[in-house]
Amino acid sequence: MGKMEKSYKKLKGSASFRQRLLLSTLSSTPIIIEDIRPSKTDPGLRKHEVSLLRLFDTVCDGCSVVINETGTKLKYKPGIIMGGRINYPHDCGVSRSIGYFLEPLIVLCLFAKEPLTITLKGVTNDSKDPSIDTFKSAAFHILKRFGVDFEALSLKIESRGLPPNGGGEVVLSLPIVQSLTAVNWIDEGFVKKIRGVTFSTKVSSQFESSMIRAARGIINPLVSDVHIFTDHRSGPPAGNSPGYGISLVAETTSGCYISVDTAAYHGKDEDTSGFADDVKKDLMPPEDIGEGIANVLLGEIAQSGVVDSTYQGLLFLLCALCPQDISKIRIGKLSQYGIETLRNIRDFLDVKFDIKPDPDTQSVILKCIGCGMKNLSRKVT
Amino acid sequence: AERTLARKATSLKQVVYGESTNNSTSMNEEYDSGEDDEDFFLPIEEQMKKQKSRHGPDDTMVDAEDCSKCVKLMSQKWNEKDNEEIRNRFVSGNLAKAALRNS
Repeated sequence: MGKMEKSYKKLKGSASFRQRLLLSTLSSTPIIIEDIRPSKTDPGLRKHEVSLLRLFDTVCDGCSVVINETGTKLKYKPGIIMGGRINYPHDCGVSRSIGYFLEPLIVLCLFAKEPLTITLKGVTNDSKDPSIDTFKSAAFHILKRFGVDFEALSLKIESRGLPPNGGGEVVLSLPIVQSLTAVNWIDEGFVKKIRGVTFSTKVSSQFESSMIRAARGIINPLVSDVHIFTDHRSGPPAGNSPGYGISLVAETTSGCYISVDTAAYHGKDEDTSGFADDVKKDLMPPEDIGEGIANVLLGEIAQSGVVDSTYQGLLFLLCALCPQDISKIRIGKLSQYGIETLRNIRDFLDVKFDIKPDPDTQSVILKCIGCGMKNLSRKVT
Repeated sequence: AERTLARKATSLKQVVYGESTNNSTSMNEEYDSGEDDEDFFLPIEEQMKKQKSRHGPDDTMVDAEDCSKCVKLMSQKWNEKDNEEIRNRFVSGNLAKAALRNS
Protein backbone atom coordinates (compact mmCIF):
# COMPACT_ATOMS: atom_id res chain seq x y z
CA MET A 1 0.00 0.00 0.00
CA GLY A 2 2.79 2.34 0.92
CA LYS A 3 4.22 1.84 -2.49
CA MET A 4 0.92 2.71 -4.11
CA GLU A 5 0.58 5.91 -2.12
CA LYS A 6 3.99 6.97 -3.16
CA SER A 7 3.14 7.10 -6.83
CA TYR A 8 0.38 9.65 -6.22
CA LYS A 9 1.38 13.19 -6.99
CA LYS A 10 0.39 15.47 -4.13
CA LEU A 11 -1.12 18.84 -4.89
CA LYS A 12 -2.85 21.55 -2.93
CA GLY A 13 -5.73 23.89 -3.52
CA SER A 14 -8.35 24.35 -6.17
CA ALA A 15 -6.19 26.29 -8.63
CA SER A 16 -5.64 24.89 -12.12
CA PHE A 17 -8.10 22.12 -11.40
CA ARG A 18 -8.82 21.43 -15.06
CA GLN A 19 -5.22 21.33 -16.18
CA ARG A 20 -4.23 19.15 -13.28
CA LEU A 21 -6.88 16.61 -14.23
CA LEU A 22 -5.99 16.87 -17.89
CA LEU A 23 -2.26 16.51 -17.45
CA SER A 24 -2.70 13.81 -14.84
CA THR A 25 -4.76 11.80 -17.31
CA LEU A 26 -2.48 12.39 -20.29
CA SER A 27 0.65 11.53 -18.36
CA SER A 28 -1.04 8.68 -16.42
CA THR A 29 -0.03 10.29 -13.16
CA PRO A 30 -2.44 9.65 -10.30
CA ILE A 31 -2.96 12.73 -8.13
CA ILE A 32 -4.16 13.70 -4.70
CA ILE A 33 -5.39 17.24 -4.28
CA GLU A 34 -5.70 18.42 -0.71
CA ASP A 35 -6.95 21.61 0.88
CA ILE A 36 -9.57 22.42 -1.70
CA ARG A 37 -11.03 25.62 -0.31
CA PRO A 38 -10.80 24.34 3.26
CA SER A 39 -11.60 27.62 4.97
CA LYS A 40 -14.39 28.84 2.74
CA THR A 41 -17.91 29.04 4.12
CA ASP A 42 -18.83 26.42 1.53
CA PRO A 43 -15.71 24.31 1.42
CA GLY A 44 -14.64 21.77 -1.12
CA LEU A 45 -15.21 21.10 -4.76
CA ARG A 46 -17.64 23.22 -6.72
CA LYS A 47 -20.47 21.84 -8.80
CA HIS A 48 -18.68 22.45 -12.06
CA GLU A 49 -15.57 20.70 -10.81
CA VAL A 50 -17.56 17.63 -9.86
CA SER A 51 -19.25 17.79 -13.24
CA LEU A 52 -15.84 17.93 -14.90
CA LEU A 53 -14.77 14.85 -12.98
CA ARG A 54 -17.89 13.12 -14.20
CA LEU A 55 -17.12 14.16 -17.75
CA PHE A 56 -13.61 12.73 -17.47
CA ASP A 57 -15.13 9.55 -16.11
CA THR A 58 -17.49 9.45 -19.09
CA VAL A 59 -14.83 9.66 -21.76
CA CYS A 60 -12.31 7.49 -19.92
CA ASP A 61 -12.37 3.87 -18.89
CA GLY A 62 -11.35 2.71 -15.49
CA CYS A 63 -10.53 5.93 -13.73
CA SER A 64 -11.13 6.12 -10.04
CA VAL A 65 -12.30 9.16 -8.15
CA VAL A 66 -12.46 9.37 -4.40
CA ILE A 67 -13.67 12.52 -2.70
CA ASN A 68 -13.78 12.97 1.05
CA GLU A 69 -16.91 13.97 2.90
CA THR A 70 -16.36 17.71 2.78
CA GLY A 71 -15.03 17.67 -0.74
CA THR A 72 -11.75 19.23 0.29
CA LYS A 73 -9.68 16.22 -0.72
CA LEU A 74 -9.68 14.45 -4.04
CA LYS A 75 -7.91 11.28 -5.05
CA TYR A 76 -7.85 10.75 -8.78
CA LYS A 77 -6.41 7.84 -10.66
CA PRO A 78 -6.64 8.28 -14.41
CA GLY A 79 -7.92 5.58 -16.71
CA ILE A 80 -7.65 5.00 -20.42
CA ILE A 81 -9.02 7.70 -22.68
CA MET A 82 -11.75 6.05 -24.73
CA GLY A 83 -13.65 8.80 -26.50
CA GLY A 84 -16.18 7.32 -28.93
CA ARG A 85 -19.80 8.23 -29.39
CA ILE A 86 -21.34 9.15 -26.07
CA ASN A 87 -25.05 8.45 -26.34
CA TYR A 88 -26.34 10.42 -23.42
CA PRO A 89 -25.76 14.16 -23.01
CA HIS A 90 -23.45 15.47 -20.33
CA ASP A 91 -24.95 18.10 -18.08
CA CYS A 92 -22.37 20.81 -17.43
CA GLY A 93 -24.57 22.64 -14.97
CA VAL A 94 -24.87 26.38 -14.90
CA SER A 95 -22.09 27.46 -12.58
CA ARG A 96 -19.59 27.58 -15.44
CA SER A 97 -20.14 27.61 -19.15
CA ILE A 98 -19.51 24.77 -21.59
CA GLY A 99 -16.29 26.51 -22.62
CA TYR A 100 -14.86 25.66 -19.22
CA PHE A 101 -15.35 21.98 -20.01
CA LEU A 102 -14.29 22.18 -23.64
CA GLU A 103 -10.88 23.63 -22.89
CA PRO A 104 -9.52 20.45 -21.31
CA LEU A 105 -11.79 18.11 -23.28
CA ILE A 106 -10.56 19.08 -26.74
CA VAL A 107 -6.99 18.34 -25.72
CA LEU A 108 -7.74 15.18 -23.79
CA CYS A 109 -9.77 13.42 -26.43
CA LEU A 110 -7.26 14.00 -29.21
CA PHE A 111 -5.47 11.12 -27.53
CA ALA A 112 -8.52 8.90 -27.21
CA LYS A 113 -9.05 5.46 -28.62
CA GLU A 114 -11.84 6.56 -30.90
CA PRO A 115 -13.04 9.93 -32.16
CA LEU A 116 -15.32 11.61 -29.67
CA THR A 117 -18.87 12.74 -30.29
CA ILE A 118 -20.64 14.14 -27.29
CA THR A 119 -23.57 16.38 -26.45
CA LEU A 120 -22.93 18.95 -23.77
CA LYS A 121 -25.70 20.83 -22.01
CA GLY A 122 -25.43 24.03 -20.06
CA VAL A 123 -24.33 27.60 -20.66
CA THR A 124 -23.01 28.33 -24.14
CA ASN A 125 -22.09 31.98 -23.70
CA ASP A 126 -21.07 33.99 -20.69
CA SER A 127 -18.47 36.58 -19.91
CA LYS A 128 -16.15 34.34 -17.93
CA ASP A 129 -15.17 31.48 -20.21
CA PRO A 130 -14.46 31.41 -23.93
CA SER A 131 -17.75 31.05 -25.75
CA ILE A 132 -18.82 28.31 -28.09
CA ASP A 133 -18.46 30.73 -30.99
CA THR A 134 -14.79 31.43 -30.35
CA PHE A 135 -14.06 27.74 -30.02
CA LYS A 136 -15.30 27.37 -33.55
CA SER A 137 -13.63 30.48 -34.89
CA ALA A 138 -10.29 30.40 -33.06
CA ALA A 139 -9.53 27.30 -30.98
CA PHE A 140 -10.17 24.86 -33.82
CA HIS A 141 -7.76 26.78 -36.02
CA ILE A 142 -5.10 26.43 -33.33
CA LEU A 143 -5.64 22.67 -33.25
CA LYS A 144 -5.35 22.61 -37.03
CA ARG A 145 -1.85 24.08 -36.78
CA PHE A 146 -0.77 21.08 -34.77
CA GLY A 147 -1.92 18.64 -37.41
CA VAL A 148 -5.43 17.92 -36.15
CA ASP A 149 -7.84 17.09 -38.98
CA PHE A 150 -9.77 20.35 -39.27
CA GLU A 151 -12.57 18.84 -41.36
CA ALA A 152 -13.37 16.38 -38.62
CA LEU A 153 -13.73 19.07 -35.97
CA SER A 154 -17.25 20.26 -35.46
CA LEU A 155 -19.25 22.05 -32.85
CA LYS A 156 -22.92 22.44 -33.48
CA ILE A 157 -25.04 24.78 -31.43
CA GLU A 158 -28.43 23.12 -31.06
CA SER A 159 -29.59 25.72 -28.61
CA ARG A 160 -28.00 28.61 -26.83
CA GLY A 161 -28.06 28.99 -23.09
CA LEU A 162 -27.14 31.95 -20.99
CA PRO A 163 -26.70 32.31 -17.26
CA PRO A 164 -28.34 32.04 -14.86
CA ASN A 165 -30.52 29.20 -16.15
CA GLY A 166 -28.60 27.84 -19.10
CA GLY A 167 -30.48 25.47 -21.34
CA GLY A 168 -27.91 25.45 -24.12
CA GLU A 169 -26.93 22.35 -26.01
CA VAL A 170 -23.97 21.74 -28.28
CA VAL A 171 -22.70 18.69 -30.11
CA LEU A 172 -18.94 18.29 -30.29
CA SER A 173 -17.11 16.03 -32.70
CA LEU A 174 -13.40 15.64 -32.25
CA PRO A 175 -10.95 13.57 -34.28
CA ILE A 176 -8.04 11.67 -32.76
CA VAL A 177 -4.38 11.96 -33.57
CA GLN A 178 -1.50 9.57 -33.37
CA SER A 179 0.69 12.44 -32.34
CA LEU A 180 0.68 16.16 -32.84
CA THR A 181 3.02 18.07 -35.14
CA ALA A 182 5.46 20.57 -33.73
CA VAL A 183 5.02 24.13 -34.97
CA ASN A 184 7.21 27.02 -35.90
CA TRP A 185 4.63 29.71 -35.51
CA ILE A 186 6.05 33.15 -35.02
CA ASP A 187 4.62 35.10 -37.94
CA GLU A 188 1.53 36.84 -36.65
CA GLY A 189 0.87 38.53 -40.00
CA PHE A 190 -1.46 41.43 -40.62
CA VAL A 191 -5.15 41.51 -39.97
CA LYS A 192 -6.96 41.14 -43.26
CA LYS A 193 -10.50 40.52 -42.18
CA ILE A 194 -12.80 40.51 -39.22
CA ARG A 195 -15.58 38.01 -38.77
CA GLY A 196 -17.99 37.71 -35.97
CA VAL A 197 -21.34 36.60 -34.76
CA THR A 198 -23.85 38.20 -32.47
CA PHE A 199 -26.66 36.40 -30.75
CA SER A 200 -29.77 37.28 -28.85
CA THR A 201 -31.91 34.93 -26.85
CA LYS A 202 -35.41 35.78 -25.72
CA VAL A 203 -34.85 39.46 -26.50
CA SER A 204 -35.36 41.60 -29.59
CA SER A 205 -32.92 41.09 -32.46
CA GLN A 206 -32.53 44.87 -32.42
CA PHE A 207 -29.88 44.39 -29.76
CA GLU A 208 -27.74 42.59 -32.30
CA SER A 209 -27.83 45.35 -34.89
CA SER A 210 -26.93 47.88 -32.21
CA MET A 211 -23.91 45.84 -31.15
CA ILE A 212 -22.81 45.39 -34.75
CA ARG A 213 -23.16 49.07 -35.54
CA ALA A 214 -21.12 50.06 -32.50
CA ALA A 215 -18.39 47.51 -33.18
CA ARG A 216 -18.19 48.48 -36.83
CA GLY A 217 -17.78 52.11 -35.86
CA ILE A 218 -14.42 51.22 -34.37
CA ILE A 219 -13.27 48.46 -36.71
CA ASN A 220 -14.31 49.72 -40.12
CA PRO A 221 -11.81 52.61 -40.32
CA LEU A 222 -9.03 50.01 -39.94
CA VAL A 223 -10.21 47.18 -42.15
CA SER A 224 -12.98 47.07 -44.69
CA ASP A 225 -13.55 43.32 -44.86
CA VAL A 226 -15.88 42.98 -41.92
CA HIS A 227 -18.76 40.53 -41.70
CA ILE A 228 -20.66 40.05 -38.50
CA PHE A 229 -23.41 37.48 -38.66
CA THR A 230 -26.48 37.42 -36.50
CA ASP A 231 -28.04 34.52 -34.68
CA HIS A 232 -31.36 35.44 -33.20
CA ARG A 233 -32.99 32.74 -31.15
CA SER A 234 -36.41 32.36 -29.71
CA GLY A 235 -38.39 29.44 -28.39
CA PRO A 236 -36.56 26.31 -27.23
CA PRO A 237 -33.29 27.02 -29.14
CA ALA A 238 -32.94 30.18 -27.06
CA GLY A 239 -32.43 28.28 -23.84
CA ASN A 240 -33.81 29.42 -20.52
CA SER A 241 -32.44 32.91 -19.99
CA PRO A 242 -32.61 36.20 -21.88
CA GLY A 243 -29.51 38.03 -23.03
CA TYR A 244 -27.30 38.95 -25.92
CA GLY A 245 -23.65 38.93 -26.84
CA ILE A 246 -21.02 39.10 -29.51
CA SER A 247 -17.88 37.32 -30.56
CA LEU A 248 -15.33 38.71 -32.98
CA VAL A 249 -12.36 37.11 -34.64
CA ALA A 250 -9.59 38.78 -36.61
CA GLU A 251 -7.96 36.69 -39.30
CA THR A 252 -4.44 37.59 -40.32
CA THR A 253 -2.53 37.13 -43.57
CA SER A 254 -0.50 34.34 -41.96
CA GLY A 255 -3.57 32.45 -40.80
CA CYS A 256 -3.72 33.45 -37.17
CA TYR A 257 -7.07 33.93 -35.50
CA ILE A 258 -7.43 36.45 -32.71
CA SER A 259 -10.74 36.15 -30.92
CA VAL A 260 -12.71 37.94 -28.26
CA ASP A 261 -16.23 37.48 -26.97
CA THR A 262 -18.60 38.59 -24.28
CA ALA A 263 -22.23 38.39 -23.30
CA ALA A 264 -24.76 40.41 -21.34
CA TYR A 265 -27.28 38.61 -19.18
CA HIS A 266 -28.96 38.85 -15.83
CA GLY A 267 -26.68 37.48 -13.17
CA LYS A 268 -27.72 35.41 -10.27
CA ASP A 269 -28.00 38.17 -7.74
CA GLU A 270 -29.45 36.95 -4.50
CA ASP A 271 -30.04 40.48 -3.29
CA THR A 272 -32.91 41.33 -5.56
CA SER A 273 -34.51 37.98 -6.15
CA GLY A 274 -35.86 37.91 -2.65
CA PHE A 275 -37.82 41.10 -3.07
CA ALA A 276 -39.37 41.43 -6.46
CA ASP A 277 -38.74 39.79 -9.77
CA ASP A 278 -39.22 43.05 -11.60
CA VAL A 279 -36.35 44.76 -9.88
CA LYS A 280 -33.46 43.69 -12.02
CA LYS A 281 -30.27 45.43 -12.77
CA ASP A 282 -30.17 46.79 -16.27
CA LEU A 283 -27.90 44.97 -18.67
CA MET A 284 -24.99 46.73 -20.24
CA PRO A 285 -26.39 48.52 -23.29
CA PRO A 286 -25.63 46.83 -26.63
CA GLU A 287 -23.81 49.90 -27.89
CA ASP A 288 -21.35 49.68 -25.02
CA ILE A 289 -20.91 45.96 -25.54
CA GLY A 290 -20.16 46.40 -29.23
CA GLU A 291 -17.78 49.25 -28.65
CA GLY A 292 -16.11 47.59 -25.71
CA ILE A 293 -15.53 44.28 -27.43
CA ALA A 294 -14.12 46.01 -30.50
CA ASN A 295 -11.66 47.82 -28.27
CA VAL A 296 -10.69 44.60 -26.57
CA LEU A 297 -10.13 43.03 -29.98
CA LEU A 298 -7.84 45.88 -30.99
CA GLY A 299 -5.99 45.43 -27.72
CA GLU A 300 -5.46 41.76 -28.51
CA ILE A 301 -4.37 42.55 -32.06
CA ALA A 302 -1.90 45.15 -30.79
CA GLN A 303 -0.19 42.51 -28.66
CA SER A 304 0.89 40.81 -31.89
CA GLY A 305 0.81 37.22 -30.70
CA VAL A 306 -0.22 34.33 -32.91
CA VAL A 307 -3.14 33.62 -30.58
CA ASP A 308 -5.18 35.82 -28.27
CA SER A 309 -4.52 35.86 -24.56
CA THR A 310 -7.40 33.49 -23.80
CA TYR A 311 -5.92 30.62 -25.78
CA GLN A 312 -2.34 30.94 -24.55
CA GLY A 313 -2.90 28.01 -22.24
CA LEU A 314 -4.19 25.80 -25.05
CA LEU A 315 -1.26 26.78 -27.23
CA PHE A 316 1.32 25.93 -24.56
CA LEU A 317 -0.34 22.60 -23.82
CA LEU A 318 -0.33 21.60 -27.47
CA CYS A 319 3.33 22.58 -27.85
CA ALA A 320 4.30 20.54 -24.82
CA LEU A 321 2.35 17.52 -26.04
CA CYS A 322 4.17 17.45 -29.37
CA PRO A 323 6.72 14.81 -30.37
CA GLN A 324 10.27 15.55 -29.36
CA ASP A 325 10.73 18.37 -31.82
CA ILE A 326 11.23 22.03 -31.21
CA SER A 327 8.18 24.25 -31.26
CA LYS A 328 8.58 27.99 -31.49
CA ILE A 329 5.70 30.38 -30.92
CA ARG A 330 5.04 34.08 -30.48
CA ILE A 331 2.53 35.41 -28.02
CA GLY A 332 1.62 38.83 -26.71
CA LYS A 333 1.80 39.49 -23.02
CA LEU A 334 2.01 36.38 -20.90
CA SER A 335 -1.30 36.04 -19.10
CA GLN A 336 -1.61 34.80 -15.55
CA TYR A 337 -3.39 31.73 -16.86
CA GLY A 338 -0.57 31.22 -19.35
CA ILE A 339 1.99 31.32 -16.56
CA GLU A 340 -0.04 28.83 -14.55
CA THR A 341 -0.18 26.56 -17.57
CA LEU A 342 3.58 26.69 -18.03
CA ARG A 343 4.06 25.70 -14.40
CA ASN A 344 1.63 22.82 -14.64
CA ILE A 345 3.30 21.58 -17.79
CA ARG A 346 6.63 21.61 -16.01
CA ASP A 347 5.20 19.73 -13.04
CA PHE A 348 3.49 16.98 -15.01
CA LEU A 349 5.33 16.63 -18.30
CA ASP A 350 8.73 17.91 -17.24
CA VAL A 351 8.80 20.25 -20.21
CA LYS A 352 10.33 23.65 -19.67
CA PHE A 353 9.88 26.46 -22.12
CA ASP A 354 12.56 28.86 -23.16
CA ILE A 355 10.98 32.28 -22.79
CA LYS A 356 12.47 35.35 -24.38
CA PRO A 357 10.93 38.75 -24.96
CA ASP A 358 11.22 40.00 -28.49
CA PRO A 359 12.96 43.35 -28.11
CA ASP A 360 11.50 44.87 -31.27
CA THR A 361 7.92 44.28 -30.32
CA GLN A 362 6.04 43.79 -27.11
CA SER A 363 5.67 40.13 -27.82
CA VAL A 364 7.32 37.08 -26.30
CA ILE A 365 8.92 34.14 -28.09
CA LEU A 366 8.63 30.73 -26.47
CA LYS A 367 10.45 27.58 -27.43
CA CYS A 368 10.12 24.09 -26.13
CA ILE A 369 10.84 20.49 -26.97
CA GLY A 370 7.69 18.39 -26.81
CA CYS A 371 7.31 15.60 -24.29
CA GLY A 372 6.86 13.02 -27.04
CA MET A 373 3.22 12.29 -26.31
CA LYS A 374 1.83 9.45 -28.38
CA ASN A 375 -1.68 8.18 -28.58
CA LEU A 376 -1.33 4.80 -26.95
CA SER A 377 -5.03 4.04 -26.72
CA ARG A 378 -5.54 4.27 -30.44
CA LYS A 379 -6.06 1.03 -32.29
CA VAL A 380 -3.09 0.16 -34.44
CA THR A 381 -4.17 -0.75 -37.92
CA ALA B 1 3.78 49.03 -20.72
CA GLU B 2 7.36 50.09 -20.29
CA ARG B 3 7.49 48.65 -16.87
CA THR B 4 6.25 45.27 -17.97
CA LEU B 5 8.76 45.29 -20.73
CA ALA B 6 11.54 46.05 -18.33
CA ARG B 7 10.41 43.26 -16.08
CA LYS B 8 10.29 40.91 -19.02
CA ALA B 9 13.81 41.82 -19.87
CA THR B 10 15.07 40.92 -16.42
CA SER B 11 14.03 37.33 -16.72
CA LEU B 12 10.74 36.05 -17.88
CA LYS B 13 11.81 32.56 -17.19
CA GLN B 14 12.39 33.43 -13.58
CA VAL B 15 8.95 34.94 -13.36
CA VAL B 16 7.40 31.74 -14.62
CA TYR B 17 9.55 29.03 -13.13
CA GLY B 18 11.23 30.80 -10.24
CA GLU B 19 9.95 30.45 -6.71
CA SER B 20 7.04 32.44 -5.44
CA THR B 21 6.67 35.47 -7.58
CA ASN B 22 4.57 38.45 -6.90
CA ASN B 23 3.15 39.10 -10.31
CA SER B 24 -0.46 38.45 -9.59
CA THR B 25 -1.33 40.61 -12.53
CA SER B 26 -4.98 40.20 -13.09
CA MET B 27 -7.14 37.68 -11.45
CA ASN B 28 -6.16 37.40 -7.82
CA GLU B 29 -6.36 41.03 -7.02
CA GLU B 30 -9.62 41.27 -8.77
CA TYR B 31 -11.24 38.75 -6.53
CA ASP B 32 -9.58 39.73 -3.31
CA SER B 33 -10.11 43.43 -3.24
CA GLY B 34 -13.18 45.37 -2.41
CA GLU B 35 -14.65 43.15 0.23
CA ASP B 36 -13.05 44.69 3.24
CA ASP B 37 -16.28 45.91 4.71
CA GLU B 38 -17.70 42.46 4.77
CA ASP B 39 -14.85 41.01 6.77
CA PHE B 40 -16.90 41.51 9.86
CA PHE B 41 -19.44 38.97 8.77
CA LEU B 42 -17.02 36.31 7.69
CA PRO B 43 -16.14 33.28 9.73
CA ILE B 44 -12.83 33.52 11.51
CA GLU B 45 -11.08 31.16 9.17
CA GLU B 46 -11.83 33.29 6.19
CA GLN B 47 -10.75 36.43 7.94
CA MET B 48 -7.52 34.75 8.82
CA LYS B 49 -7.08 33.60 5.30
CA LYS B 50 -7.66 37.04 3.96
CA GLN B 51 -5.11 38.47 6.30
CA LYS B 52 -2.65 35.83 5.32
CA SER B 53 -3.30 36.16 1.64
CA ARG B 54 -2.51 39.81 1.78
CA HIS B 55 0.99 39.01 2.88
CA GLY B 56 1.81 35.72 1.25
CA PRO B 57 1.12 35.57 -2.46
CA ASP B 58 1.42 31.80 -2.41
CA ASP B 59 -1.77 31.42 -0.49
CA THR B 60 -3.84 33.27 -3.00
CA MET B 61 -2.50 31.10 -5.77
CA VAL B 62 -3.59 27.90 -4.13
CA ASP B 63 -7.25 28.66 -4.66
CA ALA B 64 -6.93 30.94 -7.65
CA GLU B 65 -9.88 30.86 -9.98
CA ASP B 66 -9.51 28.48 -12.88
CA CYS B 67 -10.32 30.78 -15.75
CA SER B 68 -8.51 31.40 -19.01
CA LYS B 69 -10.35 34.48 -20.13
CA CYS B 70 -9.16 37.49 -18.22
CA VAL B 71 -10.09 40.17 -20.69
CA LYS B 72 -12.19 42.89 -19.20
CA LEU B 73 -14.57 44.81 -21.30
CA MET B 74 -13.76 48.48 -21.80
CA SER B 75 -10.37 47.95 -20.28
CA GLN B 76 -8.63 49.85 -23.02
CA LYS B 77 -9.60 52.66 -25.31
CA TRP B 78 -7.79 53.41 -28.50
CA ASN B 79 -7.10 57.05 -28.96
CA GLU B 80 -5.47 58.87 -31.83
CA LYS B 81 -1.98 58.39 -30.51
CA ASP B 82 -2.21 54.63 -30.46
CA ASN B 83 -3.87 54.56 -33.80
CA GLU B 84 -0.69 54.53 -35.81
CA GLU B 85 0.60 51.49 -33.97
CA ILE B 86 -2.60 49.52 -34.29
CA ARG B 87 -3.04 50.55 -37.90
CA ASN B 88 0.21 48.90 -38.81
CA ARG B 89 -1.15 45.61 -37.60
CA PHE B 90 -3.70 45.67 -40.40
CA VAL B 91 -3.22 45.08 -44.11
CA SER B 92 -4.46 48.60 -44.65
CA GLY B 93 -1.55 49.99 -42.63
CA ASN B 94 2.01 50.77 -43.54
CA LEU B 95 3.25 47.28 -44.31
CA ALA B 96 6.82 48.30 -45.05
CA LYS B 97 7.15 49.97 -41.71
CA ALA B 98 5.55 47.12 -39.86
CA ALA B 99 7.65 44.58 -41.69
CA LEU B 100 10.79 46.16 -40.31
CA ARG B 101 10.17 44.75 -36.90
CA ASN B 102 9.59 41.29 -38.20
CA SER B 103 12.91 41.10 -39.94
